[in-house]
Amino acid sequence: MLEHHPDLTASVIYGLGWLYLLLFLMNTLWVWRSYHHDGEVKMFGQGVPVASFWALYAAMLGMVATAHLTGSDNPQMFLLRMPDAFKSAVDSVSGPVSFFSLSVGLFVAVILLREWIVKPTVGWILLNASLIFLALSMTDYDFRQIVGKPDNVPIVAMLFICAFFTWLSFACAVENDQRKAAGKPLYSQEKNEKILVWPDLVYSELICMVLVTALLVAWGIVLQAPLEEPASSAKTPNPSKAPWYFLGLQEMLVYYDPWMAGVVLPSMILVGLMAIPYIDFNKLGNGYYTFNERKFAISTFLFGFLPLWVAMIVLGTFLRGPNWNFFGPYEFWDVHKLELLNNVNVSEWFWYKVMNTKMPVAPAGSDPGTQAGYILLREWLGLLLTFAYLAVLPPLMAVTIFRKFFVKMGFIRFMVLSNLILFMASLPIKMVLRWSFNLKYIVAIPEWFFNI
Amino acid sequence: MEEKKPSTADILAKIRAQKAAAAGGSPATAPEAAAVPVAEPAPPVAAALVETAPVKPAAPAAKPGSTADILAAIRAKKGGAAAPAPATPAAAATVAASAPVAAAAAGPAKPLPSIAEMVRAAKPGAAAPVAAVKPPVVAPPMPARPLPPSAKKGAPAPARRSLAGLVTVAGVSLVSFVLGGVFASPVLIAIGALIWCVLLSPFAMAWAALSVVTGIATLGTARFMFPNVLVEPPSKFKIGPPSDYPLNAVSNKWKDQFGVWIVHTDQYEGKDLIYALSTVCTHLGCTPSWLDGEQKFKCPCHGSGFYITGVNFEGPAPRPLERVGLRVAEDGMLEVNKSMKFQEEMGQWVDATSFVDGSLA
Ligand code: FES
Repeated sequence: MLEHHPDLTASVIYGLGWLYLLLFLMNTLWVWRSYHHDGEVKMFGQGVPVASFWALYAAMLGMVATAHLTGSDNPQMFLLRMPDAFKSAVDSVSGPVSFFSLSVGLFVAVILLREWIVKPTVGWILLNASLIFLALSMTDYDFRQIVGKPDNVPIVAMLFICAFFTWLSFACAVENDQRKAAGKPLYSQEKNEKILVWPDLVYSELICMVLVTALLVAWGIVLQAPLEEPASSAKTPNPSKAPWYFLGLQEMLVYYDPWMAGVVLPSMILVGLMAIPYIDFNKLGNGYYTFNERKFAISTFLFGFLPLWVAMIVLGTFLRGPNWNFFGPYEFWDVHKLELLNNVNVSEWFWYKVMNTKMPVAPAGSDPGTQAGYILLREWLGLLLTFAYLAVLPPLMAVTIFRKFFVKMGFIRFMVLSNLILFMASLPIKMVLRWSFNLKYIVAIPEWFFNI
Repeated sequence: MEEKKPSTADILAKIRAQKAAAAGGSPATAPEAAAVPVAEPAPPVAAALVETAPVKPAAPAAKPGSTADILAAIRAKKGGAAAPAPATPAAAATVAASAPVAAAAAGPAKPLPSIAEMVRAAKPGAAAPVAAVKPPVVAPPMPARPLPPSAKKGAPAPARRSLAGLVTVAGVSLVSFVLGGVFASPVLIAIGALIWCVLLSPFAMAWAALSVVTGIATLGTARFMFPNVLVEPPSKFKIGPPSDYPLNAVSNKWKDQFGVWIVHTDQYEGKDLIYALSTVCTHLGCTPSWLDGEQKFKCPCHGSGFYITGVNFEGPAPRPLERVGLRVAEDGMLEVNKSMKFQEEMGQWVDATSFVDGSLA
């Protein structure tokens, strides 16, 4: 009976106990660090070391861990779980729109608050908060079903790794920026960080190699690869998901024709990344971390990487369920979830809603030229919009927001840059249009396999 | 952490100083002295450096050690200093030992030879036959670039083989090519190619080998287009009488085997029709599933939805599902013909072979 409790099993509780124990150990070390680095705060008329608060927190974690590892075997009695009110609130507000807004908001916040976030204490608090959130969420059955799946474990790890490295690069950048502002030499120049390639670097690389290999072997033994039934052309698994690193692309396919999302946009991404060194005219920030000297480059790249790639992977992995419907993090993956989306093309909207007539259709049996004419007439608005987007916007940008860039870069480089940016922006634009107006295609010419 | 770490330059300088000391005096005490500045893995390096040191003649205190010094020394030697600078005997010895060619090349001020020049100079020695074919390329413009001693003595430049012999060999290879072509014998062609290659320089040989391998790989890829066995279900098959398919129902019966749904509905333009829909999503080709409760085909890959009529209404699919051919055969059974496709957006659904009158059911 015990193990079959769908909500919380004893083994889950023990597992969480180990997680809390890990947190406890981590925070014990942090207490030690805090004792040496953080000063005191004035309280009740006397100095109290900041470390004592961490010690309190660590002690609490220690007790929670003990309770998990030794406490009652009856999961029903288990109290420390994510409150249901919170879960249903999260489920009810979550959707593609709120998810995307949240990820963009987070991205902006990271950039604006970077000087605050990179403080070690703040970073540590954020790490603790995310781990505790994860631990509490794990008490939810549906969350555990998805996040705890063996093939989703690397994605959880990736999130933490991604966050850590973003944090680290911002920490280095902020340090250097502050040094520059104060007229001091860069961190890497002042604290001589150079080491010998042989033996120092080669040895550390060797050790890393051995450790990572050991980790992978252990992982491969402990977590079994989830194999599915043999493939069959007649049966597509539901939901059917791409490899995790392509889930961003799969999400893109929801909004675009396969020709666009599967061929044009990925090639633009590759070509664009290759073009960066040729587009970039900013000679600063070469060989050291900085943000203030490369604001545009770093924010643009990070926007493409974090909200448009990593966040889309998260969306595709954890929040897209059967029939590619959106499910909240604590929601049951119901195959029969009904979500009615009646998408319309720009041409349909124009002819039916605005003009209140039928769409122009070539008379039956007319020659290809006439048919093409009718098709173009039908789609004129979408074609015009697309043309304006790609041909009129770049010059407009050149004389307004990107004026300085245009002067520095010259015509061709600026055109390449602006088109790459427009292509990148086209993804969020299309997503927003789909969500707000149920727009399907701006130009829809299925006759020619040309849909935008 | 606050104490300043020794920089790489410091470490190297220290090692060098110790090495010099060791070479001049007591090598026995050197290793432990050397172990001081670098942290853990340092001793082997220091030791290795010390070991090599005594081999060289005892150097003065200002012995050049860094790469830059050595390079400078080489350049100085090349650049006309016929008599090596007396201050750097050790460096001169090292250079002479490791690069005898460069040392021997020391002559009156001449610019460094470019790689192209070196290759050209090396060629007559390495591939004498070519030189024989083309007498003009005998003396390269390279100045005083000596050949390795063996080559110099072994091959009296230019090696004149008889032109006739060469022509014979070329002819043999050509004949084996032609014969190989005529008799379609790969062995003969290979022999021809081999002979031909031997006549040419290593570069040509390498290029020839590369193109042969690439060519074979391309052909192998092309071979994939013609599989030995094609496992495909027949495109025409009988699916029973029309009465098997009641009104407003979608039959999944033939989905797994043949990839079609048989639909009987009166919702398409108000006409009572039976038709066969292909189970390929028009977005990216996944197989949608028919959801009876919601009365729609729903694709699990990106969420496209289609009405029972096959017309797309949600998700990214740009066009309706495709119909395949359907007719009533002579024996009164329905017969699906998957070799025909009917696309709604092309106006092909009016085609009489794309549906069967539903009143037959
Ligand atoms: S393949 Fe069916 S929706 Fe993409």
